[in-house]
Amino acid sequence: MVTVIFIAIASLIIASAVLVVISREIVRAALWLIATFFAVGALYLLLEAEFIGVAQVLVYVGAVSILILFAIMLTRQHERHEPAWRAGPWWIALAGVIGLAAVLITTIGAVPWRLTDDDLPVSRAPQLGTALMREYLLPFQLAAIVLLVALIGAVVIAMEERRRRTPTLADDIAAQRGAADRAEDGTP
Amino acid sequence: MNRTIVISQILVIEQAPGWLVAALNHAIIAGVLLIGGAITMMLQVWVERRLIARMQDRLGPNRVGPEGILQSIADGIKMFTKEDIIPRAADRWVHLLAPIVALAPIAMMLAVLPWGRGLVAVDLEVGVLYIAAVSSISGVGLMMAGWGSRNTFALLGAMRSIAQLIAYEIPLIIALLGIVLLTGGMSLARMPELQAGIPLFGSSIPGAPDLGLGWFIFTPVGLLGGIIFFICALAEGERTPFDIPEADSEIVAGYMTEYSGMKFAVFYIAQYLLNFALAVLSAVVFLGGWQGPGVAWLADAGLGAAASLLSLLWLLLKAWGLFMLMVVIRAAVPRLRVDQLMSFAWKYLLPLALVNVASAALWVGLTEWSSIEWGNLLPVDGLAPWQRIGVAALVTAVINLGATRWVLRINRAPAAAPVVVPA
Amino acid sequence: MSSEQQPGVIVVDRGHPATRDGRGLVRGIGVVLRHLRDAFGPRLERPEQTSGVFTVQYPEERTPLPEASRNLPILLFDDDSGHELCTSCYQCERICPPQVIHITQARDPASGKAVPAIDEFILEYDACMSCGLCAEVCPFDAIKMDHAFELSTATRDPLTVDRVGLARPVSYYAQLAPQAWAEARDGAMKKLQGSRRRRTGTVGMTPARAAPAPADAPAAPIADAAPAGEPAGGEPVPASDAKAARLAAIRARNAAATDAPAPDAAPAPAGEPVGGEPMPAGDAKAARLAAIRARNAARQREGGDA
Repeated sequence: MVTVIFIAIASLIIASAVLVVISREIVRAALWLIATFFAVGALYLLLEAEFIGVAQVLVYVGAVSILILFAIMLTRQHERHEPAWRAGPWWIALAGVIGLAAVLITTIGAVPWRLTDDDLPVSRAPQLGTALMREYLLPFQLAAIVLLVALIGAVVIAMEERRRRTPTLADDIAAQRGAADRAEDGTP
Repeated sequence: MNRTIVISQILVIEQAPGWLVAALNHAIIAGVLLIGGAITMMLQVWVERRLIARMQDRLGPNRVGPEGILQSIADGIKMFTKEDIIPRAADRWVHLLAPIVALAPIAMMLAVLPWGRGLVAVDLEVGVLYIAAVSSISGVGLMMAGWGSRNTFALLGAMRSIAQLIAYEIPLIIALLGIVLLTGGMSLARMPELQAGIPLFGSSIPGAPDLGLGWFIFTPVGLLGGIIFFICALAEGERTPFDIPEADSEIVAGYMTEYSGMKFAVFYIAQYLLNFALAVLSAVVFLGGWQGPGVAWLADAGLGAAASLLSLLWLLLKAWGLFMLMVVIRAAVPRLRVDQLMSFAWKYLLPLALVNVASAALWVGLTEWSSIEWGNLLPVDGLAPWQRIGVAALVTAVINLGATRWVLRINRAPAAAPVVVPA
Repeated sequence: MSSEQQPGVIVVDRGHPATRDGRGLVRGIGVVLRHLRDAFGPRLERPEQTSGVFTVQYPEERTPLPEASRNLPILLFDDDSGHELCTSCYQCERICPPQVIHITQARDPASGKAVPAIDEFILEYDACMSCGLCAEVCPFDAIKMDHAFELSTATRDPLTVDRVGLARPVSYYAQLAPQAWAEARDGAMKKLQGSRRRRTGTVGMTPARAAPAPADAPAAPIADAAPAGEPAGGEPVPASDAKAARLAAIRARNAAATDAPAPDAAPAPAGEPVGGEPMPAGDAKAARLAAIRARNAARQREGGDA
């Protein structure tokens, strides 16, 4: 029973992924990507990793995909149907695919996966939280710092943008108020 | 879980494979929830139109059916029979799927909510996170609608809607996080169970009757969190004062511009159903869910079914009360401008939500940690549980109130000396 | 609210700080809840009431119209005697801006002299603009403005109303506009006495009273709003009209032969009705109008009587 469901979900993932690459329209490709993320979340649920599955949907489908869609929609207004470049001859692509497949399959096959038929240790959200705060505290904090850097960078870029704008009435008034304050303080 | 067993006993299929019985059970429950959702949506439209009308000194629709109850059905028939116009340049599949992607996640939300004592369809351990995840999927539906219409203004409207949704999702989830800290878990079905007892002190006072009033909103953390959550729920459901996407004086109808007939009706249904689901969620997390006077008494007396029914009644009362509050706010409050909307989310709600989480952490520490965990800095072991709750309530009340006043003060524009407009 | 002016700047102070920090929101909700509470009370009747439902559930309830409201004219006849107040003085026809009134003065059947009564009175409701000038100018208080406005019909013909459709008893108008009628009644009745002395027989009586209606005659509902008006096409033109139309056509042709062509006389010969033959509705109406106009034009040319 589980195998049947797994095959269904896996084929959905593979089909969506293939369609992402094949789609001529980039927005459709993005939407197939969303389908892929969703199916991967379903796979996590099948593995009874509820937290990871729901987090996958929340982060990837709810945030990353929307970001990707925003980026696409705000930048690619002129080219809709024509591809950006023409692909080369088909046998070059085939050679590349076979080579990559060979590398991936041999590497994955060489890894000693601990496949067992026993029940997996249940990792629920409390255990995940405890692990993040105890054994994996340093990576957690580093990830937080990376996010903080990204946030500050975004704010800095937005500030730059604001300075480059033509000043509005509000900016004039604010500048004037600043000058009046400085005059009041008696600073030279 | 209990429900599953009950229904399988009702069905009594001899020698049926287990998966078939389980599938039928789920189908029945899903059917009940979806039909209930549809009926709720029709009632919601009726209540909203009549209530807003009375507040505007008029009557509202009262012709179709007794007191106009069947008006929603008439509107449904109208939407069904309208021509389904698809712009020629529109991306057909994206245009078609967008309403579905907007509505389906909201129906999925209904599965995790505890509708009564022992009445939850799926008891997910990560219920709160699931709700957050699923509500962000419907945002993708909005983007698809805005893009698929191939209409620049629909696209702009969709982007504004998404910006609003994303901006308000963050304080929403962080407000919920405060309660997750209080309850020690993300399971939604557990939350009403923890809100038994008397206001503020819950079940910590031995011998106190179980009035079912130990709601989180009576605690300082829950009060601030509840207010933040309710405001963010208004924004998530795109209701006034955050209804820029659906207001006709803004970019026509925003992402819904190019939709007519049944597809528009689906967006409409999605909005009302989302608002109801968020009202139920508010009730579950902050107002005690199905807890209320009498439920525990009935359960102890052995009348489990009656207790479940009464608990369902309590939940519906609270959810409908919150929905009516949404309606009153819609009648009373003008629309926020889009920059006011964004600044309200980022500059007011988010800092308050973060402070609320810190307060919640303090509350947990004061009420549940032992002195050793405190590093022997605080003599918490010497206090009775209800005393600890009292102390924690005092501390968190001071912190929350102070934070609220501080946030309001620093965001206030300086009382300006008159500014000379440059000639 | 106070305002002070400084060079280039106006500072407006609202006077109360209730708009800060959500207090304005709470006050707003209070306002709305007050309206909600009042909405379940008595209806909003007086202008100084500021909240309360003011919906008038049409058609079960209707807003009472003021006495002087005007929507399409009616002709009055006396309840007791059945005599119409109208004396065919032509003042309303002269003053009507869109010229929708067409009057034919009655003649004494015996002597052929004109009597102060109407033979035919046609008012085109669909073109009437309800200005009320006809009612203002009528010296005999015979034509008044009705309040009825639910006059929709499926075709245009019923909207050309004749004497039968226009007739209303004086009691109807008295109930519509009691004060106005109280002021006008005595003078109107006195003038009606004078007119009646100069009328013979049933001339000047409203047709429903003059000839108690046979079963298949076109009914003119006196009581309420809907005017049956002109029966739709297919009904044969009444004999007297046909004869008069033919007469008018002949006169018009003579006038056209001797004078400059009369603009309105031309269409008459084309649609000449033969008595008793049913004609399509539009043609019948046009023929009647043309006949009347021809008659009037011919009468004018002969220096006829008013």
